[in-house]
This record gives sequence, structure tokens and C-alpha cells, in this order.
Amino acid sequence: MNKNDLIIRVAGEGGEGIISTGDFITQACARAGLEVYTFKTFPAEIKGGYAMYQTRASAAPLFNQGDTFDILCAFNGEAYDLNRSRLRPGTAFVYDGPGGDFEPDVPEGVHAYAIPMTQTARQLGSIKAKNMVALGALSQLFSIPEQPLREIIAAKFTKKGTTVLESNLNAFTRGRELAAALPKTDPWKMEASAQKRDVVVLSGNDAIGLGALIAGLDFFAAYPITPATEIARYVARHLPKRGGTLIQAEDEIASLAQVLGASFAGKKAMTATSGPGLALMGEMLGMSFMSETPCVVVDVQRGGPSTGLPTKHEQSDLFMAIHGSHGDCGRIVLSVEGVSDCIALTVEAFNLAEKYQCPVLLLSDGSLAFSTQTVPYPEPADYPIVARKSWDGKGDYQRYVITDDYISPMAAPGTPGGMHIATGLEHDQNGEPNYTGANHEAMQAKRFRKLDTVVNDVAPVEVDGEGNADIGIIAWGSTIGVVREAIARLRADGHSVKGFYPKLLWPMPVEQYEAFAATCGKIMLPEVNYLGQLAHFIRAETSLRPVSYTICGGLPFTPAMIVGKTKEMLS
Amino acid sequence: MSCAQTHLHKVELETKDYKTEAKPFWCPGCGDHGVLTGMYRALADIGVDPNYLVNISGIGCSSRLPYFVRSYKMHTLHGRAGPVATGVQLARPDLAILVNGGDGDGFSIGGGHMPHLARKNINMTYVLMDNRVYGLTKGQVSPTSQRQMKAYTTPYGGVEEPLDPVLYMLTYGASFVAQTLATNVKMTAQLIKEGMEHRGFSFISVLSQCPTFNVIDDAKSFKGSAEELQENHDVGDIDAAMHAVNVAHKNGKIPVGLLYRQERATLDERMADLVKQAGGHPDYDLHKIIDLSRP
Ligand SMILES: Cc1ncc(C[n+]2csc(CCOP(=O)(O)OP(=O)(O)O)c2C)c(N)n1
Ligand code: SF4
Ligand SMILES: [Mg+2]
Repeated sequence: MNKNDLIIRVAGEGGEGIISTGDFITQACARAGLEVYTFKTFPAEIKGGYAMYQTRASAAPLFNQGDTFDILCAFNGEAYDLNRSRLRPGTAFVYDGPGGDFEPDVPEGVHAYAIPMTQTARQLGSIKAKNMVALGALSQLFSIPEQPLREIIAAKFTKKGTTVLESNLNAFTRGRELAAALPKTDPWKMEASAQKRDVVVLSGNDAIGLGALIAGLDFFAAYPITPATEIARYVARHLPKRGGTLIQAEDEIASLAQVLGASFAGKKAMTATSGPGLALMGEMLGMSFMSETPCVVVDVQRGGPSTGLPTKHEQSDLFMAIHGSHGDCGRIVLSVEGVSDCIALTVEAFNLAEKYQCPVLLLSDGSLAFSTQTVPYPEPADYPIVARKSWDGKGDYQRYVITDDYISPMAAPGTPGGMHIATGLEHDQNGEPNYTGANHEAMQAKRFRKLDTVVNDVAPVEVDGEGNADIGIIAWGSTIGVVREAIARLRADGHSVKGFYPKLLWPMPVEQYEAFAATCGKIMLPEVNYLGQLAHFIRAETSLRPVSYTICGGLPFTPAMIVGKTKEMLS
Repeated sequence: MSCAQTHLHKVELETKDYKTEAKPFWCPGCGDHGVLTGMYRALADIGVDPNYLVNISGIGCSSRLPYFVRSYKMHTLHGRAGPVATGVQLARPDLAILVNGGDGDGFSIGGGHMPHLARKNINMTYVLMDNRVYGLTKGQVSPTSQRQMKAYTTPYGGVEEPLDPVLYMLTYGASFVAQTLATNVKMTAQLIKEGMEHRGFSFISVLSQCPTFNVIDDAKSFKGSAEELQENHDVGDIDAAMHAVNVAHKNGKIPVGLLYRQERATLDERMADLVKQAGGHPDYDLHKIIDLSRP
């Protein structure tokens, strides 16, 4: 039991301050020099419904949300019922009582602490302060650093006037007192780290917004959709400071259309959506590829198909991301593991789009969208920026001229002599319509062959481990972080395991897959979808025959699940 | 008025200077030839610098027009010229944006975009080439087809009522709405010129006959139904504009001329104000934004 790696889950009714309580804990831990990795679920409806916020904090690096909580704080009976099965001997359990809406039958060995959250908040004159009573109690019981918490509370409520601030601080203090009066029986304690790190705390969605700003984003077209909307919120807030603009379009077809227009006009442009929006963009992705107009499209995947499970986690848009559009339509598909990738690979997505003049899709997912994580302070100057190849103004301009690297120089409107047409019709090197077989073959080859070098421009995969292994695990997206921890545990148990983490999903880094497989006995591929989508592409494009391990229950994998499956395959 | 001209970079050119080598591919007698001629004239009359002109279209017979105009241009997807043009315009407010397309393109598949171009007052000129039929796909009914039209998929005659594009655009809040006939090149040229000089979203509906697939709306019947707006028509009065259209409908007429014009801030102007308020600058120190995420 590593007491320096703690997981606290706060659960209750949406609107009771669950999310802000979790945020306070997370921020305080980060201030205290700890790494944090959070995980949230909230209802698809606006009011009410079950909400949960889990903070994992540790002095050591964190890659995922962990197996399950060590500490549960239940604001109501529903939260208790939904989490009761995960209470195990040794877990700490803080709940609203007496005076709450339930009376728990606490399982053997669980350390229970009854804190009259509702009652105390009422006595203090504001039921809204219920979460502050809970926060105070948690801070006292588990040594969540008090001083940072008080500062963060002050920072949040000062704007709302002294009365509101006082009442929240009072409730917080009262919560601490109530907890101090109870004998502490569990071992859980947050140890502040002596090491001060230069970090930021960002959600996956905000980090994508930041990455775009670092890349030099000029124009963002948005259409709201869970779980991607926060990207637009971040950009809307900060892009105007950099002189750029965000427009909310009438639908996703229009948002990608606007992006292509802005890109044609010489600007760096992007949009962000989820599966339903990406489905609407299919035809326009083809236009981007055919007319060789750069664009960046972020897809924060959610449970599908159709309207599906809007607030739930899934990695099931890979088929659409790689092939969604009619005809043979190329593109580059990247996928992010965690918050730090959300920054770096968004910059990379722009660099690739500008260089290769094609659509670049960046896949994130529902759990990463809202997961906040500590990452080293991102220094903008550390991210190289690539500009598009532009016409030097010499000779007669041919927009689609076939060059050695198959990339044709672009000319933005206003460039004298650079007039041309960007068209979705098949065309010759001048952009004139041409439907002859020979021309179509030559131009398709041009548009695809330019992508041959993509694999050299990014770190397409990361391999975890050296030499040979009995089993190799391939993972993509936020599942990678889960596999990293599982592999560390398996190795600690004496197993020989390697990991393979592709970040460039398309074009496929086939050589890397083959080289990895040559060093592994068996290959396992866990992914959060029903069909085993990455496994499907691997079987089609490489000689690998991975064993698919798929789940689609709306939640990510846990390290324990991967450890269990791996052991099963090894035995 | 000086501010109203910033999107028009000017040079001295003649109509022939706006022609490309490509020969228009339309059928003989197609109204689109007249629209193109009117467009050339309008561009020459203003003296638009082709290097700063972006001509954007969707898909249809009419949407082939940019291939015949010397300018930067985009030939996009069926129905999507408007939002593509929006992106170009917002990214580069210094460009003159000219959009054109058919009735199916703009009011069927692309119909969801029209309200937003209008209400947001995107600074562009949209020339609708309305032949009341789907030309390129060989003669199906369009949202502007007259009900009785027998066509490819309506062998017993149509069953739907048509819509009136200008009435829609007035309702959606377009800041410049006009209507003309392709056979009246002079009026077409004049209205396109005024539309391009107008700062904001200008919509010009040109009734452009399709002799190949629409026999009930030929050049002659358009001419016969056209009725110029009264001399004292107040172009600043939205009620008068709506009234003129409704009266014409009742009488089986097509009102032609400038129906409505309003001076109003464009979206790019409002966005520029917003950036100004935020103290926006491309050199704004990113560290200040990143620092907000320190714990
Ligand atoms: C998504 C999509 N659906 C259908 C078509 C086929 N299509 C091409 S042009 C057209 C209609 C053309 O009619 P209109 O817009 O009125 O233009 P016109 O040819 O009459 O000038 C259609 C349905 C297409 N190109 N794309
Ligand atoms: S089919 Fe009709 S609209 Fe198309 S070019 Fe011929 S006449 Fe013109
Ligand atoms: Mg038509």
C-alpha cells in the first residue's frame, strides 16, 4: 500500500458542488508539489443526476486515474449505493450523517466517518456550503494541505463579496473541527512534496486549446458538442488576445467549411468536435484532401453510435477518422495519450497540416477531455513551428504542380500572379478540371505520395521496454497511460512485458509495428470500443495478429484489468 | 463611405481583363451567360483588383462560373460556398468576396447556411442564379420550381409550393437585397456593382433561365413577369421591401431592382472591435495565458 499515491473520490448529486470540491482538492495537491490525475463523470442532463470527481495525487508521475479510490466521500444515498461495491477493507469512507438522506450499512473493515454536512451547512445558514463542510473534513482527515486550500477558496469567492467568502471559510473550518473530533483509524494521508515543480494544471480540452495557441492558431470555427466544447471555450477566451477570432458556426459542416476558407486565405485554422460532428464533416474532409487545403480537426470521442452516450468515454471513432469520407481520401490521424500530448500533438497537428496540405485529425477522448493533470510548464519556444511552403513569385504559378516531394507551393489571395482555383473537382496541375484516367491516377498518386514522409516528421510510436518479451501490449489514446502502469506492475511481479504506443495512427507506421512484433511472443490490444478498431487496421496493414481486449461500458480501463488479462494470456 | 471601400482594392481594367481562357460551358441560351457578362461589367466598373478578389461557388451549372473569372477562387461542395466564403472573409477582411450558385445549391442543400450569412452580415456579395430547376443533374424540381412543373422526378407534375429567395433573405436580415433578370445585363451589372460596394451581406437574386430543363420559366416568361420597383420605393424601409414582394406575388409578378439596403456593422468589424477590447495583438505574450493555469 503506497500511501504516497492516494485516490479520493467525491460523489453526489450534480449541482451540489461535487465538481468544485474535487477541483479544490486537485489544485491544493498541485500547489503542494504533488502530481495529480483526475477523472470525472457527470450526468448528460443539466440538473441533478449522479456526479463524481476523483483526484489521484502522488509525489511520483501519474499516467492514469488508478484502479479505484482509497477514500470515498458520499454526499447522498445514491452516491453511496453506486460506490458501495468498491468499499473494501481499509478504505476510508466519509459520508453525510447524521441528517443526510441515507444510513449506510458500512462493510467490515471500512473506516467510516460520519460528518453532518447538510445539517451543519443549514446551521451555518447556507445549504450551498455543504461541500465546504465536506472539504474541511477531508482536509483534516487526510492532511490535504490546509493553507493552499484556504488560498484557493479565497481566490474563488473573493469576487462574490466578503459575506459569501466568510460563509464558505466558516463552513470549511467547521468541517475541519467536526473531523478533528473523530478518532482517525485509517492510514491515508496526503504527504506534501518537498520538491517544488514548475507545473501547470490543465484539462485535456484546455490543453488542446493551449497547444493551438502555441502553434499560432488564427481562426477557430466551433459548434458546441459534448465532450469537446471546452476547447472552444478556452480558445474564445484567449485567442482574441492574440488577435485571432472564433466563430460559432451554424453546424459542423459550416465550421469545417469556414476552416477551409480561412486556411485558403493563408491562416492557421481549426475546429473541434465529437463523433456526430465529425460524421457531418466527412464530405468537407474530402474537399480538404482534394483541394490540398490544410486543416486541423480535433475529435474528442464519446460513446456512439448515433447520439450514443454523450458524456461517456469511448475510443470508437477510429474507423471514421481514418477512412470517413467518400472516394480514396487521405489524411493524417494523431492520437493523444494525456494532457501533455494534448499540447504537443496539437502543435504537431498544425505543423503536419501546414506542411502536407491535407486534413489532420487529432483524436482525444471523453475521459481525457475533463481529466486535469499536472504537466511541466510548457515553454512556447520549445515547440518548433512549421510554416506552409509558399510560392516564391517566380515564373508562372501552378497551384498543383508535381514537385519532388509532391508538395506544391501555396499562394494566398493578394499575392500578385498567384491567382488559382482551389477545387474539389479532379484537376490538372493548374487546377483546371480534368477527368482523364491518366490525370486522376497521377494526381491521386501526388496527393498520397506526399504523405510517405509523415512517419519521419513525428515520433510515430513510443516503445516501452527493450529486448524480447513474452507479451507485447499495444495501446492508443488515454489507454496508454493505463497500460504503462500495468506494465510496471507486471514487471515488478517478474513478468516479461513490453508496450507499444502509437501516436501516429495514420498513415500507419508499419515498420515499427513489425519490428515490435518481432520481439514479442504474444500481442494484446486493449481498446475501449466494441469492434476492436485499431486491431482491425493492424490486421489489415501488418502481419500482426493481436488479441483484442475490448470493453465499451462508458469507462476507461484500469491498470488492474490490464494486469489481469495479461496474466491470463501468459498462463 | 471611405470605410465602406476597404474591401475593394482597385485597378484600372476592362471587362476582357476579367475573362479567363476557359470558355463558359453552359448551353446556348442559358441565362448564366448573361449573369457572367453582368459580373464582368460590374468588376470592371468598380475596378476590382483580381489579386484581391475571391470568387467562391458550390456545385451546379451556375457554380462553374468562377472558372471563367480571373481571380482567386474556390469551387467547393454542393451548398457550402457560403460558409467557405465566411471563413475566407473573416480571415482576410481586406478581400472582396463574390459568391455565386444555384437555387438548389443555396436554398435546398445549403439552405441552412443562408440565415447565418445574412444575420451575421458577413461582408460578401452572393449572386443567386435562379433557374428554378436543378440544371446539372438534368432537370429535377428545385425549391423555387413552380408547383405545376413536370420534371425528371415529378412526371405527373410537382406537389410542393416554391419559396421566394428574396423574401427569405429580407426576413433573415440581409443588409442588401436585390433582384434582376439574366437577360437584363445592364441591371444585373449595376446591382452586382452596388452589392459589391455595399459593406455587409449583399444578396442579388438573378432569374436565369434554363432552356434545357425548365420550359415553363423561359426568358420570355421571366421578362413578361418582371416588374420594376416603383420610383419612390424606399430602399431603407424593410416593410416597404416586404410589401413590394408580396404585392408582386399576388399579381403573379417578379419585382426587380434594389429592394432593401441597410448600413450595419459587419461581423468582421465586430470581431475586430472585440480583439481591440481584449488588447489583442499577435505578439501578445503567451506566458501570460499559460501562467493562468499554474496551480
Ligand atoms: C452532396 C451532394 N449531393 C448531390 C449532388 C448532386 N448535384 C450536383 S448539382 C445539383 C443541383 C444543381 O442545381 P442548382 O443548385 O439549382 O444549380 P444549377 O445546376 O441549376 O445551376 C445536385 C443535386 C452533389 N454534387 N453533392
Ligand atoms: S442545363 Fe440549364 S442551367 Fe445548365 S447550362 Fe444548360 S441551360 Fe444552363
Ligand atoms: Mg438551379
